[in-house]
Amino acid sequence: MTDAPLPAPLTADQLRALAPVLDGFIPRSADGTLPGAGELGIAADLDAALRRIPGMHAMVVAALAELDRLAVRRGAARFTALAPDEQQAALGELSSTEHAFPPMLMLYTFGCFYKHPRILAHYGLPTRPPHPEGFRVAPSDLSLLDPVRARGPIYRRV
Amino acid sequence: MAEQPVDVLIIGAGASGAAVAWSLAETRMRVVCLEQGGWMKAEDYPGTREDWELAQIRDWSPSPNVRERREDYPVNDSASPIAASMFSAVGGSTILYAAHFPRFHPSDFRTRTLDGVGDDWPLDYAQLTPWYNLNSRMMGVSGLTGDPAYPADPPKEFPLPPIPLGRLGETLARGFNELGWHWWPSDSAIASQDYEGRAGCINAGTCLLGCPHGAKASTDVTYWPIAIRRGVELRTHCRVREITVGPDGLADGAIYYDAAGVEQRVRAHVVILACNGIGTPRLLLNSRSSHFPDGLANRSGLVGKNLMFHPYAIITGVFEEPLLGYQGPTGCSLMSHEFYETDAARGFVRGYSFEMLRGFGPVSTALYGLVGGRVLPGPGHQEAFAQLVDRTAGIAAICEDLPEPTNHVTLDPELTDDDGIPAPKVTYRLSENSQRMLDHAVARGQELMAAAGARDTMVQSPLMLAGWHLMGTARMGRDPATSVVNEWGRAHDVKNLFIVDGSVFVTAGAVNPTNTIQALALHVADSIKRNLATLLD
Repeated sequence: MTDAPLPAPLTADQLRALAPVLDGFIPRSADGTLPGAGELGIAADLDAALRRIPGMHAMVVAALAELDRLAVRRGAARFTALAPDEQQAALGELSSTEHAFPPMLMLYTFGCFYKHPRILAHYGLPTRPPHPEGFRVAPSDLSLLDPVRARGPIYRRV
Repeated sequence: MAEQPVDVLIIGAGASGAAVAWSLAETRMRVVCLEQGGWMKAEDYPGTREDWELAQIRDWSPSPNVRERREDYPVNDSASPIAASMFSAVGGSTILYAAHFPRFHPSDFRTRTLDGVGDDWPLDYAQLTPWYNLNSRMMGVSGLTGDPAYPADPPKEFPLPPIPLGRLGETLARGFNELGWHWWPSDSAIASQDYEGRAGCINAGTCLLGCPHGAKASTDVTYWPIAIRRGVELRTHCRVREITVGPDGLADGAIYYDAAGVEQRVRAHVVILACNGIGTPRLLLNSRSSHFPDGLANRSGLVGKNLMFHPYAIITGVFEEPLLGYQGPTGCSLMSHEFYETDAARGFVRGYSFEMLRGFGPVSTALYGLVGGRVLPGPGHQEAFAQLVDRTAGIAAICEDLPEPTNHVTLDPELTDDDGIPAPKVTYRLSENSQRMLDHAVARGQELMAAAGARDTMVQSPLMLAGWHLMGTARMGRDPATSVVNEWGRAHDVKNLFIVDGSVFVTAGAVNPTNTIQALALHVADSIKRNLATLLD
């Protein structure tokens, strides 16, 4: 809720570079029915959330820049130009450097993935915000209290 | 021209500040309240957005250190296993609370006599009962009379029927019955039906992020509108630096920073603190003068001492079938006081209550699963998530903390808020008694989940981000050597200074404290009114 100016959004190439990172956190489901987080296309949504935390956004930008540097060492123009297996190798190398992605990136990935309508619909969960519609909850079966009442007072007399 | 002194200055517009302001409004005295936060707007609460669960990670975290709003002040809680939680706004921490609203038990006011621990309060359950009942009407509390965990006479009064248990609640209720343990529908400061201009709850389940519907009884929608209509002046975005003292040693007002950060001065005949169990000792310790070199009203040396939280454990059952746990108020369904009172055979004194939690939304399921090591990143993540989503039921054990002078609030030598006012530092360790209680609660919670049909359980104990209940740091008592305020909240050292928040608690009980905080505030206000003619004699 700070009023600091927002950093610039990630470029299209940076968003593409983020996708395999996100797929690493949440890979495609084993039966193939649900996509991975990168495949689902949440990178831009994630970027929008991270821009509100400039310090963390800057760490993500730095990590992406380091991935490009690692790609250049591998003879590619940038990270997104690497073959998938080489991308994984670069990501592995990055994780042991000071430019590793911040752990909070994973939390926000979870957050953006599990609010996506496709994922919610798969689990039969509502795809709308809780308000203003809310939910109808059935009246309680208060006969369940019969044994509690039958037992009588349990408070300590003073 | 300097502003004329106001009759009563209240600092803090949360649970207790609102109640005391409302009560004093009828006196026609000039009452002014300074609040460091502002008015919340229903449309700003995240429950209306698709990313509502994401908001809890940072912007709507219960911790001011995580949120970092301009209105917040930082708390150095690095020397505590439990992180302080609070919110600064009109309504205070009731904006984010679960609104679980039980009362203390009669025994809570007599722990020294009954169990040889803590201290007895200078008042008792019967004295507070009329104020509990008045507060119940003002806040619009939903509940069911006849709970055998409380005396039948005088009865607990509820203007509204209880919040529905839901499928999840009934599942756990059957588990309690299987074990023969007490349970009862929660006392809830949530309107189960339309009440006094507030809409009834729609079971959206976003209580911990503010209630856009206004069904949850945060004091910005209960006490404050009435108090303001009756003439109380509420000044928002005003952060108090110190309470000032006149040559006679009485409080004579406060110095504060307004919304523009400009220093202002307000003079007052009576000052009432309602800043919570961390904010109040912070302000008293920041108010040093020649009369009070160790902090205002601190001749006993007890300001800031005896900080009590409620250590929490969360036991989550994993069930085979969907429980629709995302439907209904987050923390209000049912409660159990089976283990509330002392039983020496358990290996600890005093006890704990259980408060049922509804299930998690999908994001919370993933994050909680991550913390619990059940939903890890990488291969198998989605399969692990599918095992948990809408199949969890939680129960919180709220353990009574005992007062210990070594658990305390002091001023941090370096950390300040945005206005340069020294921030509080919390030093707290979990006692052996509390740890044994937590362990017992976890074992009983797992037993309950098994009885209710859970195939598995997850446990968090102690819960770190659980310092919602801030108590004991300016305790109440009759002896000025062993307490800070008397039995009606008046500082022993400063007869026109009153405290009405959780600081005055002598012991912590084992239930959420807001109802008791507000009942005490109403009791203090009534005492002020009854003693008005001789208040400063």
